[in-house]
Amino acid sequence: MASLRGLSRPTHGLPLSQLCHQTYSVSSRRCASSQAAAAAAPAVKDLADLETSTLDRPPLNAEEKKEFRPWKRQVDRKFHLPSGRYSYHPPKYYRGPLHPVQSPPSSDPTARDFVPGPFNLPRLRQTYLSTNASDIMTLAYHHVPPGTPDTQPSQRLREWDGSSPYHKNRPLRAPRGAPVLPLKERDINFVNIPEIKEVTIASYVPAALKEPDHLLVCRNVILALTGTLPSITKTRSDVAQWHIRSGQPAGVKTTIHGNAAYEFLDRCINFVFPRIKDWRGIQASTGDSSGNLSFGLGPEEMKFFPEVEANYQMYAPKMIPGCRIFVKTTATSDRQARLLLQTMGVPFYGEIRN
Amino acid sequence: MAPKLPPTTAAMLSRRSCSLASSTSGSFSPSLPHRGQHQQVRHATFVPRHRRPYQFTQLVQLSDGSTFTVRTTSPQALYRSAKDSRNHILWQPSDKSLRNVEVDEAGKLAAFRERFGRGWDMAEGPAAAAAASDAAAGAAAEEPAKDGKKNKVVDGKAPEGKKGAQAQAQAASPAAAPAAPAAEEKVVDPFDSLVDLISGYATEDKNIKGGLSAKDQARKDKAKKK
Repeated sequence: MASLRGLSRPTHGLPLSQLCHQTYSVSSRRCASSQAAAAAAPAVKDLADLETSTLDRPPLNAEEKKEFRPWKRQVDRKFHLPSGRYSYHPPKYYRGPLHPVQSPPSSDPTARDFVPGPFNLPRLRQTYLSTNASDIMTLAYHHVPPGTPDTQPSQRLREWDGSSPYHKNRPLRAPRGAPVLPLKERDINFVNIPEIKEVTIASYVPAALKEPDHLLVCRNVILALTGTLPSITKTRSDVAQWHIRSGQPAGVKTTIHGNAAYEFLDRCINFVFPRIKDWRGIQASTGDSSGNLSFGLGPEEMKFFPEVEANYQMYAPKMIPGCRIFVKTTATSDRQARLLLQTMGVPFYGEIRN
Repeated sequence: MAPKLPPTTAAMLSRRSCSLASSTSGSFSPSLPHRGQHQQVRHATFVPRHRRPYQFTQLVQLSDGSTFTVRTTSPQALYRSAKDSRNHILWQPSDKSLRNVEVDEAGKLAAFRERFGRGWDMAEGPAAAAAASDAAAGAAAEEPAKDGKKNKVVDGKAPEGKKGAQAQAQAASPAAAPAAPAAEEKVVDPFDSLVDLISGYATEDKNIKGGLSAKDQARKDKAKKK
């Protein structure tokens, strides 16, 4: 690249492959890629009608290079290229499926809600797809001979006994002791391998009630961590002892999905957890018994994130908040969710609840 | 894993069935940014532009030299990590170089223990440390007694001589700790451990700034008693 930088300005516009070819063939240095391309060129010749390669294009000579001056062309141009006001702008409002003016889909680069990407395959996701998913499926395999009758009752709601005539047409009752029907664990098979669905990061900053700057710092920290603009949460209850009234802004939350969620977890596992002093793991009793695990990070542990560390000076150290992180998985029980996170390298310690 | 349904025909007909549900591009889609609060009227839904920070592609190098790229808000092009899961004992339990092994090539630590016993060791439990310190005190009893209090407590069971003290100090292990009688626990003072003493010296006293002086504190205590 050093030799490339030394070239005159007009050659900057040239395709990189041609430049490399030219520079290295003239100098005494060996370039494996260009030689390999030259060696492979005859073999590829019979495939030339199938695909075109820039590698077997002849290098530009000195005159052609002199001719190639896009900046000169721009200066000499008598007219201006059409500006952005002539380009297509999608409508600002969506007016229903029957309206004649429709916005393009969000995958269209001109769309208002277009987000470019993905730009990389996160390491954790790649590991999951190539290794972890099949490992989980194999390790959790439970053989059931075909034709085995299902022992679990299909109906878990309680029926009314019919002692009263008013029981007729009443909806079934929830199970005893639980207002809602808990999730039933499904066996792991090839369509049902648990994976990370989303990660929610929430931070409650009661100090923001007195000093609103806390909320700003908190929002910036979470913004740097996740790359999404978090929403402000408000207090829900009136507690005079804590000096809170309902409806005051005192926190921040955001949810990240897909690749961003995997990258965030990767950073937690590989950079943040190892740097916490005397850390033994996530408490194994976490979980909402339907496959969503959570853990928390204190204010002094937030600086272990590379994004916060990069410009740690930007934040007032006393204002950096802690946060709670909720990992939502497609697993149907905490057992399976823990299995998923353990394959990703999250250690658990202590008593296991369910 | 929720089965991924193919896009319905209705969604295909209207290119945007609902402007707020833009996550139909599959699980590889970038995260849904927060939609700002906007006015929803009956006939038109505002399609917001995403507010998101610029994300750089960063090359990350772990402590074992492996590299990978991440998308991050941090503007550093290369991030080198000094401490991560590749050089942490919790993730690499079989790596011997990560174990916390005491290096005592010159024998200085052994010499210290021979002279002062094992009461200073942090790894031992508090009870074991107490027992060891008692043993050391027993050894000190041979010399002319300076602080009578300590010797009085220990006198009953302390073996005589330095060698005996050593033997007891070596025997004082976490296994023997539960057997330590309650009488010994009285002797334990907060600065028993050398490490505690040093760290207590280094840490700043929280009470210095807004606290009371010793004189004022004594006055306050007196007032409380009354």
